[in-house]
Amino acid sequence: MNALLQTHDLTVAYGGLRANSDVSITVEKGKLVGLIGPNGAGKTTFIDAITGYTPVTSGTATFAGRDLAPLSPAKRSRSGLVRTFQSLELFEDLTVWDNLLVMAESSKWWSFLADIFRPLRTSGVESKAEESLELLGLSHLRDRLTLDLSHGQRKLVSVARGLAANPELLLLDEPAAGLDTAESQQLGILLRRIVDSGTTIFLIDHDMGLVLSVCDYIYVLDFGQIIAEGTPSEVRNDPAVIKAYLGESTGEMQAAEGEEASRALRGEGDGR
Amino acid sequence: MSETLIDVHDLSAGYGGIPVVRNLSISVRAGEVVALLGPNGAGKTTTLLTLSGILQPISGRVDVLGETVSGVKPEKVARRGLSHVAEDRSLFFDLSVKENLRLGLRGDRNERAASMEVALDLFPALAPLVDRRAGLLSGGEQQMLAMARGLASRPRVLLVDEMSLGLAPIIVERMLPIVRRIADETGAGILMVEQHVGLALSVADRGYVLAHGELAMEGTSAELRSNRRLVEESYLGGI
Amino acid sequence: MKDAIAFAFLGLGAGSFFALMATGLVVAYKGSGVINFAHGSVAMYAAFTFNYLRIDGRLRLPWVDILPTHQVNLPVQITISSGGKVNVWLAVLLALAMSALLGVGMHYLVFRPLRNAAPLGKVIGAIGVMLYLQGVALVNFGSENPQPKSILLPDTLFKNFLGFGKPMPGENLGLFIMAVLVGAVLWFNYKYTRFGLATRAAAGNEKGAVLLGYSPERLALFNWIIAAMTAGLAGVFVGSITGALTPTKFTTLIVPALGAALIGSLSSVPIAIAGGVGIGMIQTVTSTWMTGKSWFPDWLQSGATDAIPLVIIVLTLFLRGKSLPIRGNIEERRLPLSPYPKRIGWHVAILVPLGVVLAYGLPGDFVFAGLSGKWSFAFMTSLIAAMLMLSYVLLAGYVGQISMVQLSIAGVSAFFMARMSANGVPSPQDPFAVSGPGLPWPIGATLGIIVAIAVGVLLGIPALRIRGVQLAVVTIAAAVALQTLYFDNSKLTNLMAGSNAAVPPPTFFGVDVGSTGPRGLTDSPKFVTFCVIVLAAMCVIVSNLRRGSTGRRFLAVRANERAAASAGIDVARTKLLAFGIASGLAGVAGVMTAFQQQQISSSNWVYFAGLIALAFAYLGGITSVAGALIGGMLTGSGLISVFGSHQSSGLHTYTPLIGGVGMILTAIIHPSGQAMLFQPLLQYFGRWLKAARVPEWLVVARRLGPYVVLGLALGAIGINPWRTDEWSRPWMMLVGVLLVLFVRSIVVRIRSGGHEPSSDSPAEVSA
Repeated sequence: MNALLQTHDLTVAYGGLRANSDVSITVEKGKLVGLIGPNGAGKTTFIDAITGYTPVTSGTATFAGRDLAPLSPAKRSRSGLVRTFQSLELFEDLTVWDNLLVMAESSKWWSFLADIFRPLRTSGVESKAEESLELLGLSHLRDRLTLDLSHGQRKLVSVARGLAANPELLLLDEPAAGLDTAESQQLGILLRRIVDSGTTIFLIDHDMGLVLSVCDYIYVLDFGQIIAEGTPSEVRNDPAVIKAYLGESTGEMQAAEGEEASRALRGEGDGR
Repeated sequence: MSETLIDVHDLSAGYGGIPVVRNLSISVRAGEVVALLGPNGAGKTTTLLTLSGILQPISGRVDVLGETVSGVKPEKVARRGLSHVAEDRSLFFDLSVKENLRLGLRGDRNERAASMEVALDLFPALAPLVDRRAGLLSGGEQQMLAMARGLASRPRVLLVDEMSLGLAPIIVERMLPIVRRIADETGAGILMVEQHVGLALSVADRGYVLAHGELAMEGTSAELRSNRRLVEESYLGGI
Repeated sequence: MKDAIAFAFLGLGAGSFFALMATGLVVAYKGSGVINFAHGSVAMYAAFTFNYLRIDGRLRLPWVDILPTHQVNLPVQITISSGGKVNVWLAVLLALAMSALLGVGMHYLVFRPLRNAAPLGKVIGAIGVMLYLQGVALVNFGSENPQPKSILLPDTLFKNFLGFGKPMPGENLGLFIMAVLVGAVLWFNYKYTRFGLATRAAAGNEKGAVLLGYSPERLALFNWIIAAMTAGLAGVFVGSITGALTPTKFTTLIVPALGAALIGSLSSVPIAIAGGVGIGMIQTVTSTWMTGKSWFPDWLQSGATDAIPLVIIVLTLFLRGKSLPIRGNIEERRLPLSPYPKRIGWHVAILVPLGVVLAYGLPGDFVFAGLSGKWSFAFMTSLIAAMLMLSYVLLAGYVGQISMVQLSIAGVSAFFMARMSANGVPSPQDPFAVSGPGLPWPIGATLGIIVAIAVGVLLGIPALRIRGVQLAVVTIAAAVALQTLYFDNSKLTNLMAGSNAAVPPPTFFGVDVGSTGPRGLTDSPKFVTFCVIVLAAMCVIVSNLRRGSTGRRFLAVRANERAAASAGIDVARTKLLAFGIASGLAGVAGVMTAFQQQQISSSNWVYFAGLIALAFAYLGGITSVAGALIGGMLTGSGLISVFGSHQSSGLHTYTPLIGGVGMILTAIIHPSGQAMLFQPLLQYFGRWLKAARVPEWLVVARRLGPYVVLGLALGAIGINPWRTDEWSRPWMMLVGVLLVLFVRSIVVRIRSGGHEPSSDSPAEVSA
């Protein structure tokens, strides 16, 4: 087993509210692993905890065998654990190209001295940035301000920006939110391509269709707890998952209708 | 036939002139519970925000309590007799439960005292917590407070957005019947956005299903329940 | 110890004043989320109103008569009592009514239109109000600076207060009781009344309040009135404690009040009251009792009292701050876009020679006859101001850090250089020479700039956990503390009281490039050329930083600290780097100011001059180098203001007033500043001129022609904006046209719902 990211009983509590409780997952190198769950299940909190944006109450997270706890968010990013944000959080004053460069560059504090004399010198990361742009089909938007792009394009820029950092593991927070069905399918194909080119992806989304169709392994989160895990086919047949999504009442759910709903889901999955 | 409280005709609504909801026509009558269903991003919350005047409609007619809401400030719509329990609950975290409730009250001293009592009767779990700061309540208690605060003004129209969000199913099962009771007892018209399809239809009279900003289905709860397959497909992106 | 407590009681009066001011700041913040830097000016205006009512019985309204004719006059004062003095309590009532009116005005004219602006925009709005009120006070109350008398218990003196063996004026106790009473009333209001609850509710969750039927705007209005009235109370009743009234009165005293308000997180009235009283008492104990002790460090004698609020503010905010903002807590509105600098080489190649030509052209009778020295001095002032503004552009425009201490950092560099250049040998220009190593100017200047950078980085440390307007508060406190701790501190500067630090003129290989010209005036073209070259170098540096990887990191931090961290950027280090570079730029500005002035004193670096510099940089355009250049031209006693007062002799009286209104309007209508307004217009116009043929010209003539004719006519009849008699006819016609077009553009903007008036640009006209 070649675990890149591993959490063990990770718990995040805000006051009395446990946003994540005892979440244990493993992301293997070279795989596309998904985390799904309904709104408010604690998915973004989990990403925040792994990337250092929210304090962990208890439990551990290791990345490439290294304990993450003492590292700042910036250090985690530089060690190859790169994330995107649900709300994108692009640098809106910068062009698409500059957004990618910021991510790709690793400057020292004294590099401003060089900038004073040669601001436009190359730093060797341009090829990686160029590659990410091409992979996501954004080359024609290179010099546009991110402010001027459509929502779908901004989503892709956000993924490209993460990729430009040449990460070992890319954490994507709801990249499909707000995309229409066609865009979402397109994104799925791109994600698969990224994984095939050697970057491991941890994908968070609530779009069942996308996650079921592209992931190698899936964890399902509800009320801050992992309620199911497995391959896409295992997960889509799990009654607990369907319950979490459609929110049937317990008695009603587990009766015959559960069977019908899961058939509906399967039919949907095959349709792709 | 009872009075029509919400009358929406051919509405397009959204943000910055870009419609999220298109050609929507819905109505809610007094004493009725109507469920607004649909997957994430279908435009349910946008519809409610437009009804309460926070978003201006792009086109179409939106009448609440017999008057239009376009060009009217949201606080004016609220004072007309509309109460909107928002998705984020919009509680005042720094204020106590009692202070939160007080801000919802209307009318003279006696009416206010009576409304406060009614609100606490509907949600008896809040009674021992009246002096606690709202920010310290659990998720379920916060939702009860939001509902109680929305009811404290004795609204004639109640909009409830995602009441069950982040709540354990057992709490949802306990709260939904209260919605039914409110409609029956006060004669208010209730429009609720819900993710829990089955539970919502168990208390609602009628329902609308939105998908991608357009009306995908409508009918009585019984009709929608008998068409489960279709409802589910609209959720899972089949339509 | 007994003495210390007795001295502490002496601080009750000042402390109660701080407490009242702090309460008003808290109320304004609750009501509208604005930290009101103009609060002191409101108190000042109320105090003047009260005292003038007591002197001549006339109520001065808070505006001046700007109507362009003498036929119709705007009423500017109301005579309450023709026999002179007005009764004390009636005067108090009128002064409070005046502050309430100011509160209404601030709500409707400034902060309501700015409610969705970036935090810096609100700060600029507040500075605009401050300048405006100071400007009005200068015109309306300029004749006399009255010494206010005590109102509360004026004739009481406790000989042995509470048995601590020291006398205390009754006024102190009276003020204390008033502060506690006001505090209690407001506390009750916000705790129990519906209005108070709704205010707190709307401050926490505006959407929730709206959904319950409360209007946040109306709540804000009433809170502004309450806030302004507490400022009025403080200003009127503080009486004799703070000395003679001047238009800039209370601007410095707002810092301890800010400290007190911040202790209670800008939300608790009782803590603000207690904090204000406490700070006043600690300050008095420090200044009277502690400084007399042998263990008290000598160099802290001056400035210890001003260091106290700084320490309190920094500690309170730093301990509460977070190193990264939490989710959903990101600043609501963004600063204007920062344009990518283009064609830097061309700009340098054109502007530098132009500057040199002007340097040599202006002192002679090149453009305006008979004015010699005045123009050169104004030109130098503008160039040096632009240097300082570059430091704001880098720090506030690129990295989003609102610092108001840059002028004081310039002062640090100037003072340090002066001391390093001093050699203790008296001369006719400098009879009280201070001791020093007597280093040559390049070394002295370098050391000064290095010290400025060190101080800047030190002051940048709070920025690692403190953001937005709160950082502005920290830097204001730092500016006030630097003033008394360093510039006024004879232990450090070694200056005799009242004398200035001399700065020897710079030379290049034996050529004197000092600011004194051959005629003995401050008009040396060589020095102007020196300024042009230094400024050009600084502009290139800042532009290059913007274009390179450093600029990308700066803008990334400005756009979003959380995302910047996810890009592997060390946010803390980047901010400190920005503070360092910006302070270096400010340091250069300080050195050049010292060379220009030749004699420097602490009055060159007063903190509100720094605020005004920031506001002018914003007026020019805070996010671009061009903005700094325009800001420099606009600055007080710079080129444009000297040009204005040359055309109209009375104009200089109105400068702060016009500046204040300009800032408020810029913040509301065009937050990107004038640079961003002109640039696209010029580009459009250039492109249009190239393409325009007869039909295009006809369209423009049809659309704008009538307005031009109207403007020309108005100018010819005698539009007389600043009531001057020297204004020449052609100038007036031009001004008339500009005014009419300006009014038209505002009307177009309002009609189009506040969006950019696209129909106004020539390119669209031709399309």
